[in-house]
Amino acid sequence: MDTKINETLDCKGLSCPMPMMKLAKTIKGMKSGEVLEMLGTDPGTKSDLPRWCNKSGNILLDESELSGGVSRFLIKKK
Amino acid sequence: MAEKIKEPGILSQLYKTFFAKHWPVWVGGIVLGTLNILLFAIKSPWGASGGINNWGENVYKYIGVFGLGNATPTNASYYGMLCLFLVIGSFIAALLSKEFALRIPPIGELIKGFIGGSLMALGATFGIGCTIGAFFSGMPAMSGGAIIFTIGLFLGVIVALKYLMWEMEKFPKFSSGKSYNFLSATTKSGNWQKWMGWIVLILTFVVAYQYSGGNKIMTWFVIIGMLMGLISQRSRFCIVKAFRDPFMTGEADGSVGVMAGLMIGLFGFTIIKYFGIGVGDIAIRTREMTWVFPHFFFRAIIGGFVFGLGMTIAGGCAVGTLWRVGEGQVKLWASALGFLLISPVSKLFIVPPIVKLLPPSWDFKSYLPDYLGYPGAFALVTLIILIWYVFVKWNEKTGKFSAY
Repeated sequence: MDTKINETLDCKGLSCPMPMMKLAKTIKGMKSGEVLEMLGTDPGTKSDLPRWCNKSGNILLDESELSGGVSRFLIKKK
Repeated sequence: MAEKIKEPGILSQLYKTFFAKHWPVWVGGIVLGTLNILLFAIKSPWGASGGINNWGENVYKYIGVFGLGNATPTNASYYGMLCLFLVIGSFIAALLSKEFALRIPPIGELIKGFIGGSLMALGATFGIGCTIGAFFSGMPAMSGGAIIFTIGLFLGVIVALKYLMWEMEKFPKFSSGKSYNFLSATTKSGNWQKWMGWIVLILTFVVAYQYSGGNKIMTWFVIIGMLMGLISQRSRFCIVKAFRDPFMTGEADGSVGVMAGLMIGLFGFTIIKYFGIGVGDIAIRTREMTWVFPHFFFRAIIGGFVFGLGMTIAGGCAVGTLWRVGEGQVKLWASALGFLLISPVSKLFIVPPIVKLLPPSWDFKSYLPDYLGYPGAFALVTLIILIWYVFVKWNEKTGKFSAY
């Protein structure tokens, strides 16, 4: 079943701290229960994101590797 | 059912331990702190801005400007080689974990990389040291100036973070746009990275061996540099993160990782200085004063502030720049370029005229044990780290100072 995506955040090419900064800001502006799709290429995000979700209470629904070294994350706002 | 051959499984498990996932940052901190002690034991502590300065000098030497014809060639410069092999070590780690890719960000990010690197060069040359020399090594070296530099770093990071947040709000297009990604290792087709990683690793040891005849210290600077790069990439050890995250997302683990490295370093450096452990006939006093720079008055606070600004905008300090260069992050290539081009220019033409205007008494090296004894100095540095620890942990719980 495909999760409905409310917003997409493209962080491809961005390195620390931009992906996490943009993520935190975007999530702040979303409604509870909404789902954000984030695309990124920074290896650091793969560790930073789950940890931030743990801490902030937002839920990491899915994590996958697309072609071209792009990581795709689905985050649900708490 | 046929019995599985156990041996490849064990080795491949070992490989996965190191290269499948990232290492906890505190592990990185502890190992880097330990390697720092070894560097000091065989010669002098870890430093990064000096090595990058050497690279810049050699660029200008090659071009033939600024009278740098006598600059030490990089392959004869301990810190030039340390920094070079830090990049190579990170390259190896990225390859072996299939995380290498040429990541070219939008143009606004590249500009910030270059400006950040240039600011770091100014801050390091004026402040005498960077986040390594004047902080990660400087605090364990029990230099009073390092404490001042660190305060400067904090202020610079906070101001630059405010700028980045403002820029993201008002000019989001500056950090958005077309980006490119080349040579990434997607699943099976990426195995070339592992092969290349092993080859570069072996070549590193070959290079190190070349020096073992007449320059044993260089042999170990090559190896330790490579390990530092490898460990930094695997653990994503980042001093900018340590200073910045409490004010950004409130997370404390980057900071705690750095603190672990500081404490280990403090133990080792204290022992080395206390006993005057060193190479050859170096006097104990010289050993004690190693990495204690004459920046206590004025230079450390200004240098630290400017460096803090630069590293936050670049997204990596001197070492953070180096290991991200090895990983293929082109924004940090721009930072390295800005750093190496501006550093010799600053050192030769910008810093000396300013220093001439300062009172001669400000040319002062503050070695904490001279005033507090070894126990007192050790206790003071430990106390500062403890206060920082309490702050970041409390801030993580309450979110008092974090923006998001």
